[in-house]
Amino acid sequence: MSLKSKANRLVKLFGIAMVAGLTMAGCTTAATESTSTGTETTEQKVVSKDDIVFVASVINTTNPYFAANIAGAQALAKKLGVPIEIVDSEGSSQVQNSKIQAILAKGKTVVMFVNTVSSADAPIIVEATKAAGGFVTIWWNKPDDYEPKDVGDNFVAFQKHPGVSSGECTADRLAESIGGKGKIIALPGVQDSTTSQTRVAGLEYALSTRWPDVELVDVRPSDWDPELAYKNSQDLITKYGADIKGVWTADDGMQIGAMKAFEDAGLLGQVKFVSDGLYPPTIEDMRSGRGNNAIVGETFHRGWAASAIGLYTAYLAAIGEIKPSELPDEKRHSLFEIACVGPENFEEFASLDNDIDGWIDQLLVNGPWDTAPFKLIGAGPEVLPGQ
Amino acid sequence: MANNNSGTISPSANTASISNRINWRRLAEPSALIATLFALIIIFSILNPRFASVENLRNLMDQAALPLIIGVGATLVILLGSIDLSIEGIMGSAGLAFVLLSANSRSESDFGLLALLAALLTGIIFGLLNGLIVTKVKVPSFVVTLGMWFVGLGFATVLYGTETIPVLTNPEVSSWSSTLTFGAPNSFWAAVFVVILGVITLILTKTGRSIMAIGNNEVIARNSGIRVDRIKITVFALAGLLSAVAGIIAAIKLGSGSPSVGLGSLFITIPAVVIGGTALAGGKGGVLRTALGVLLLTVLNNGLILAGVSPSFQSGLAGAILIAAIVFAAWSQRDRLRIAK
Repeated sequence: MSLKSKANRLVKLFGIAMVAGLTMAGCTTAATESTSTGTETTEQKVVSKDDIVFVASVINTTNPYFAANIAGAQALAKKLGVPIEIVDSEGSSQVQNSKIQAILAKGKTVVMFVNTVSSADAPIIVEATKAAGGFVTIWWNKPDDYEPKDVGDNFVAFQKHPGVSSGECTADRLAESIGGKGKIIALPGVQDSTTSQTRVAGLEYALSTRWPDVELVDVRPSDWDPELAYKNSQDLITKYGADIKGVWTADDGMQIGAMKAFEDAGLLGQVKFVSDGLYPPTIEDMRSGRGNNAIVGETFHRGWAASAIGLYTAYLAAIGEIKPSELPDEKRHSLFEIACVGPENFEEFASLDNDIDGWIDQLLVNGPWDTAPFKLIGAGPEVLPGQ
Repeated sequence: MANNNSGTISPSANTASISNRINWRRLAEPSALIATLFALIIIFSILNPRFASVENLRNLMDQAALPLIIGVGATLVILLGSIDLSIEGIMGSAGLAFVLLSANSRSESDFGLLALLAALLTGIIFGLLNGLIVTKVKVPSFVVTLGMWFVGLGFATVLYGTETIPVLTNPEVSSWSSTLTFGAPNSFWAAVFVVILGVITLILTKTGRSIMAIGNNEVIARNSGIRVDRIKITVFALAGLLSAVAGIIAAIKLGSGSPSVGLGSLFITIPAVVIGGTALAGGKGGVLRTALGVLLLTVLNNGLILAGVSPSFQSGLAGAILIAAIVFAAWSQRDRLRIAK
């Protein structure tokens, strides 16, 4: 091949590259302009929708909450026409991190929602995402001193529902149902889980400030495990017998185990239960009035809403509609509203499960911070009572 | 000790002495474990009188049931010099298969006894696969059963799907394990039945004697005409069957199905087998010893809660008490803790 023909080919290649580059730039600019909300996006890397892949990473696929995470992420992806990949962490940080890294290595711009297996996973995932030019929102768990605003725009946000509000809500419901007097027991989740700790803190705060005659006689961490909650409840039934008037659990999975233990002991009709999550079996138990209307209080939040809010926030950053570094603190480390429900109003909230697509439509109109009933209510980190 | 006139020990006296020592060692460990168990029962009863109540006795029976059932299968496998780590996966698969085929909140279809049989068959198939791969492909049992653990969990996860938790809707089924028969929960009677079968199998059958022979020395056992592969496959299948039984009872106890219904079972069962005195290297030990180990662990965990020990200290304290109990009970036979084949 002669020098001249080589030069011609180089010129052609350069030309093609220029055209391709400009075309791509045009696409991204168009995307930015068409979705602009007035935020300055000139310095931000903006990604075309066609280059985006959604990723929703959950701790496992069988817990109802995590299954709902997947449902919400898939509904949003379908609505926006963006492909989605689901990461099943199988309860393991190692599995979670390696699967996420494999997806990041594929080359597309990753827009990710991660419900982390443990707090320590957040920096690893965020740094890998940042290196790959992706955008991530973490839900529920991260190290206390690791803030999105300190990392940069790729760690778009950390989001959660406040645990203290959850604990206070259920404590009040339980105390009221037993006439403000009597012995109760508590079954938190994994002992070092921040989510569990904040819920317990809310419970203890409500009891100490508003219900002095309600005595929390035993607190037995049950690791979010229904089987362990069943066993611990058996032991506590033996220890306190019919003196137990109420049972507080940090989530509905453990409540399933606790209720079965009291049922097997013939005490279900005499004891009241409160918990967090309003899972489908809980809804059924409340509808049927199981155990003399044993369940008296729940907090309502949904896995499908968490994943949709998280993904949509990261998506807005990816397409340039928001610039994370220009957002106020409450939109980087966000606390979302959690509803306190009981037998009188649970149906109103439970009905939302029947129309996830309708709620996603509202999310696209109102944005991630203003869609009822999960509106932004404040900035984290969550402050424990008395601190 | 018998001496001859010259002051030296005769060969027969020496043999008798060794025999006495072996017999003493054989009895010393279970006796010491039983003594430890009674000591714990007395201490916990003093700390909380409700510990010795009939209600708590029933609790202990119910809580010991699953580890006892799984422990029998695990003991047989360990006596071979192998190990079965697939317990939790098989429990998840079998428990979920049982719930989904029984009357449950997801569907109206109720296959009755067929559901039970299908769940048990699930366990047998997993166990057979374990045994076949170990014997025919010559892969160490640790690796095979570790893999099968996750295959079982994966199978259970597929069965579970993405729908809501399947809840048993027949109250007779969901209350079966806690229903009392002759004053004890049905789950406990099931465990007693399995333990008796395990003891009979091990002591009175040719299969049991073959298991011990294989565990002692597989080469000699094979050369003496024992069909080693067939025995191993049978034992793994039995262990799978017992894991399935445990999975079904665990699902009934909870009244619902979940792939993780066996969570934590492995790390109660294997220590219970070893604490009871079964050698990880195989060939030494037995089902009743495992039952003793299970009771010790169950009493310890239950007693610490009733004694009001803070959850923050409970694991540490339980571990320390266990170490002390083992040092006290098993000093004479500490050589049994050899690495598994």
